[in-house]
Amino acid sequence: MTAPRLETRGLALGYEGQVFARGIDLRLAPAEIVAVLGPSGSGKSTLLGTIAGVVPAAGGTVLVDGRDVTHEPIHRRGIGLIFQEPLLFPHLSVSDNVAYGLRRHGMARADARARAEELLAWVDLAGYGDRRPDELSGGQAQRVALARALAPQPAVLLLDEPFSALDLDLRQRLASDVARTLRQAGVAALHVTHDPQEATAVADRVVTLAEIGA
Amino acid sequence: MPRWLRWAWLPPAVFLAVFLAYPLVSLGLTVASGEGAQAAVDRLASATLWQVTALAVLQALASTLLALAVGLPLANVVSRYRYRGRALAQALVTVPFVLPTVVVALAFRSLLGDGVPQGFALVVLAHAYVNLAVVARIVGAQWSQHDSDYENVARTLGATRWRAFVDVTLPSLRPAIVSSAAVVFVFSFTSLGIVLLLGDSTTRTLESQILRQTSVLLDFPGAAATALVQLALVTAVLLAGASAGRRSAARTMRPARLLPMPSARVPRLAVRATVSAAFVVVLAPVLALTAGSLRAQGGWSLAWWQSLGSVDAGTTRLGSPLSALTVSLTYALITAAVAAVIGGLAAVAVLAPGRARIVAILAMVPLGVSSATLGLGTLLAFGRPPVDLRATGLLVPMAHALVAVPLVVAVVAPALRSTDGRRLAVAATLGARPTRAFMTAYGSVLRVVVIASAGLAGAVSLGEFGAAAFLSRAGSPTVPVQIVRLLGRPGEQSYGVAAALAVILVVVTLALVLLVDRMGGTRSRSADSGVAVTRSRSAT
Repeated sequence: MTAPRLETRGLALGYEGQVFARGIDLRLAPAEIVAVLGPSGSGKSTLLGTIAGVVPAAGGTVLVDGRDVTHEPIHRRGIGLIFQEPLLFPHLSVSDNVAYGLRRHGMARADARARAEELLAWVDLAGYGDRRPDELSGGQAQRVALARALAPQPAVLLLDEPFSALDLDLRQRLASDVARTLRQAGVAALHVTHDPQEATAVADRVVTLAEIGA
Repeated sequence: MPRWLRWAWLPPAVFLAVFLAYPLVSLGLTVASGEGAQAAVDRLASATLWQVTALAVLQALASTLLALAVGLPLANVVSRYRYRGRALAQALVTVPFVLPTVVVALAFRSLLGDGVPQGFALVVLAHAYVNLAVVARIVGAQWSQHDSDYENVARTLGATRWRAFVDVTLPSLRPAIVSSAAVVFVFSFTSLGIVLLLGDSTTRTLESQILRQTSVLLDFPGAAATALVQLALVTAVLLAGASAGRRSAARTMRPARLLPMPSARVPRLAVRATVSAAFVVVLAPVLALTAGSLRAQGGWSLAWWQSLGSVDAGTTRLGSPLSALTVSLTYALITAAVAAVIGGLAAVAVLAPGRARIVAILAMVPLGVSSATLGLGTLLAFGRPPVDLRATGLLVPMAHALVAVPLVVAVVAPALRSTDGRRLAVAATLGARPTRAFMTAYGSVLRVVVIASAGLAGAVSLGEFGAAAFLSRAGSPTVPVQIVRLLGRPGEQSYGVAAALAVILVVVTLALVLLVDRMGGTRSRSADSGVAVTRSRSAT
């Protein structure tokens, strides 16, 4: 078996000194999409935040391609994160939002712009580059967020209920769009949701929080 | 609606016409009459005027930059993180803001002694101290609502902590930073008390220039020209600040929620250190002031406190320093009563149908007129025959009431607007007569906010220096005026007595503000804005 792209060993989740889950063992193969299913408030967001480094781990280790990143700062982990809200930077154009991560990884401005346009076309938003984020619909904004997260080619992409703020109809359509985009990108992804239907629509494999030890 | 509500606008309108419009018109006429107009135009071309303006702009810019440099980290730690003592830290940051500027100036003298010579640096330091709260409160309010997940997104895209701050946090705070900077700039640019006590020839402001031109040089056209330039500049800066603030479109906002202390060691220590430093910085001048009032002939002594009641310790033949306190308290009471009635009615007029509500907007106008301009206008209108009211002792409280009215309106009107008016209809259907129904619907709110804003009006009056400097009678100065006069005399005694008076003023002012804060507990937001407006007047 190939080395896992993302692995957690005995990961413990906590917030402000209180530990509420221990011993989480999780493995993601390269290009594998795994959905974690659990009810609201069960710690799914904290799990993703801890893997990304936004929330400090209360114990255990996080490995990316076999490298221990538990104590690495967020920006050096190579882990992308998509929140429930698109959180597009309101003062930047759509194209500059997508190019942001490329610029932080040292790509020249012109190259980053060009690449951003390609990525926007990829999520069916060609020609939207010059718009402001507040001119987009909720579904469009979340697709831009996806393009932005994929742009710097993270080793792993974490998705935290990315469709929960959208209408039911739009949610289903976007879920299959996102699944297709993730497969095309060949990125390993960890998708948390409380919706079993969404989990099966997007993922290769569905696990529950209980199964992985939380 | 009760019928009298239709006429609520009348008393405020008359008050504004007599005590605001007439003095300003008198000022205008003095300038425009006979050779005055030509003289004023000549003064506009005077090199001194523009030299003073340039220096004041430079001073105000430096003060603003320093206030931002210290205020931004402070805004971060007092409004974002959760830790023990945060509420205390937040209250403490507000202290310099509500202290009378004359007291602040004296406190800085006590703290730094002769170590730092008077002049530019000291004035800038004192202005930054006074205005820390403006930055910390305005920017802090926005920062506490800024969603930190935006930075987290930037971090996962490869941005360092600092980079994420510059790229994401700073743009979202920019409107708040710009509007607080505009306010600090205007306060520093129109400063009077601090400039008189801590400055030298390089730190003159237009405000101090107006005072000099009217009381030393007796150059009224010159003073009018100076007031005109100041009015134009202040209006321009405030408008620029307001338009930048409006462009806010706070799109990175979420409901305010305190963050846990940072888990990494260095940021956590940085927060702790900033909070501790804030305590030291805020309290040191006040403690030095207190110590200054207790030191005589190289030792500790109560001598200055004991001499407060003796005529010899004062600067007039007519009264002791303590009698200045009586004067100030009397003026504060009159100011509180007049401002509460006039401001209250102007605010109530908001509820009336039709054009009556315009008076609430007009009542905000005194905010835009500097204290010295107002003092000068009042002096020209009521301080010489045929109408000489100087002997009545009413000019100071009327000027103070004028500057306090906008603050009362700013506190009362929003509270009334946010009260559900349907209660009035309910009371009426239950058989209440119009006035009774009105009081049922609005009475309880009105009582709380009017009393609270009257307290703030009193605090404004206690600390105000600019208008009082023009209008105080020689024999009965207010406490800030008495302090400045004492410091104009050499000697250890003058300084010690001034410090003792200043300590009393600190205690009374803080007691008033705390009382108001407690009363306004349920309406803390209105009280906050009230305190902000308070400052805008006593700053000058």
